[in-house]
Amino acid sequence: MSKALPNAVWSAFGALVVLFMLTPLVLVVLFSFGQSALTNFPMGGLTLDWYRALLANDTFWSAARNSAIVAISVGLVSTVVGTMAALALVRMPARYSQVLLHVVSFPIMLPALVIAVALMMFFVRMLGLPLGRPTVILAHLVITQPFVILVVHARMAGFDHALVDSARDLGASAVTAFFTITLPIVRTTIIGAALIAMAISLDDAIITSFTIGSGNTISTLVLSMVRTSLDPSINASATILIALTMGATLLALWSSRYRG
Amino acid sequence: MRAVDTADIGPAGATGAPWRWRGRRDGPAVSGVRRWMLPAPAALVFTGLFVAPLAYFFVMSFWTKKAMRVVPELTLSNYIDVWQKYSGVMAATLGIAFATAVLTTLIAFALAYLIRFKAGRLGLPLLFITLLTLFGGYLVKIYAWKSILGKGGILNSALMALGIVEEPLTMLIYNPGAVIVTLTYFLLPLAVLPIYGSMRGIDDEIIEAARDVGARPLHAFRDIVFPLARPGTVAAFTLSFLVAVGDYVTPRFLGGPYTAMIGDFIEQQFSLRSNWPMGSAMSFSVLAASVLVVLLVGALLSYGSRR
Repeated sequence: MSKALPNAVWSAFGALVVLFMLTPLVLVVLFSFGQSALTNFPMGGLTLDWYRALLANDTFWSAARNSAIVAISVGLVSTVVGTMAALALVRMPARYSQVLLHVVSFPIMLPALVIAVALMMFFVRMLGLPLGRPTVILAHLVITQPFVILVVHARMAGFDHALVDSARDLGASAVTAFFTITLPIVRTTIIGAALIAMAISLDDAIITSFTIGSGNTISTLVLSMVRTSLDPSINASATILIALTMGATLLALWSSRYRG
Repeated sequence: MRAVDTADIGPAGATGAPWRWRGRRDGPAVSGVRRWMLPAPAALVFTGLFVAPLAYFFVMSFWTKKAMRVVPELTLSNYIDVWQKYSGVMAATLGIAFATAVLTTLIAFALAYLIRFKAGRLGLPLLFITLLTLFGGYLVKIYAWKSILGKGGILNSALMALGIVEEPLTMLIYNPGAVIVTLTYFLLPLAVLPIYGSMRGIDDEIIEAARDVGARPLHAFRDIVFPLARPGTVAAFTLSFLVAVGDYVTPRFLGGPYTAMIGDFIEQQFSLRSNWPMGSAMSFSVLAASVLVVLLVGALLSYGSRR
């Protein structure tokens, strides 16, 4: 393969792609510390003013509170529910589990807008539920659960089931065997899956904006700031949003010792 | 040995044996109720919060809006309206999504290939950079490109500061190109993952064996790497196409008045006009068209590589 394209071409392509992937985000972070209220050059000196303005703003704090409550609830529930499903899937023969893994991944493939409006109408008109944090949490379960199932299932596929069998032969109940054998071994993967679910929940603006009714999360706050483009704190709030989601992803990769 | 009396976390039945859902490899089958305990909550989320809302949404596309209220009177008029009023927007949307998905899949394929076969020890860092923003930054990425390409934006101000242009360039934003670049940008990590996933399973020894018996680099690629990476490539195209087709934030902020996409109009049916049946019919029309495109591309790719 190596001679089809010279290595220099591959190096140049790699460098370009990394530049393409990182530059826009780096620019947003950079301008969040710039003195100029406009996002362009010259950006002036460095300042923390936009962060100060944001942190003094009650709207931001109520959005941060909503984001935290939603993300933590979604992380907990979707991890428990998704892990249970993954444990059931690994016990099936591959020909069934492969089909089911595709089926549970459908919510990832549909545009978020379709899921958002379908859930909003379902909650409001079919179930008569008032929109708020609980409906956002329910909605986020739909898009986070597939990732938890896929991640935990992938880890469990390489799991040595003889360990659990031995524990069971020695008289451990199924629940005891799970908490003393299975969980300690796959714990890092489950923590990783929970962090990914939280990152997805924090990041989502489309489904949230349709299912929250009134109120904001950090994501919908950024969405409304982009829409009006009046508030110069937008770079600061965008930076906070990306720090949260990238931080959770980094932690997930690190805790699960992801090696490709 | 005591009987298996709870839903177990044990392994699947031994491979090859007719399938019984076993509590243990050598234990008796778990009783009917308990075998469904583990997947039950996930199944409830899937059916109750995904299948049921979509079914309801689909049924609503045949209802009508009368005097500001949604009435369950069956009609096809919404679909006829979509066809008559929005076929132009629909075609433009499919075109933009197709260009985006092709561009994204090509770059993602090359990047996955670089990570898997060419980058050596740099492969893992490259994969990390790719994965870092996979689960976050959707809005920030769109906003970043709006600030870069805008009339008073980063690129224009940099070009003017460097004396390359006198007046800000207006052709950078509010056109299909700006939308395609932004969509490609945030879809790239999503597309790399399935392609890399299918390349990861390719055994280096097969490629070496092909080379040993005299296959040229391009032939080894065509006959071994590409067929094995095809499922991931089709998945990457499908994901990018479907997400691009339904996005409304990108066209709204970077598309301008002449680059409307159907997602923009769907969103308006729910936020401004409150014509839910119409929005529903628009959604299912564009989804049906998208499934056709995706199936066609999948068939083309498998035909192309079977020869």
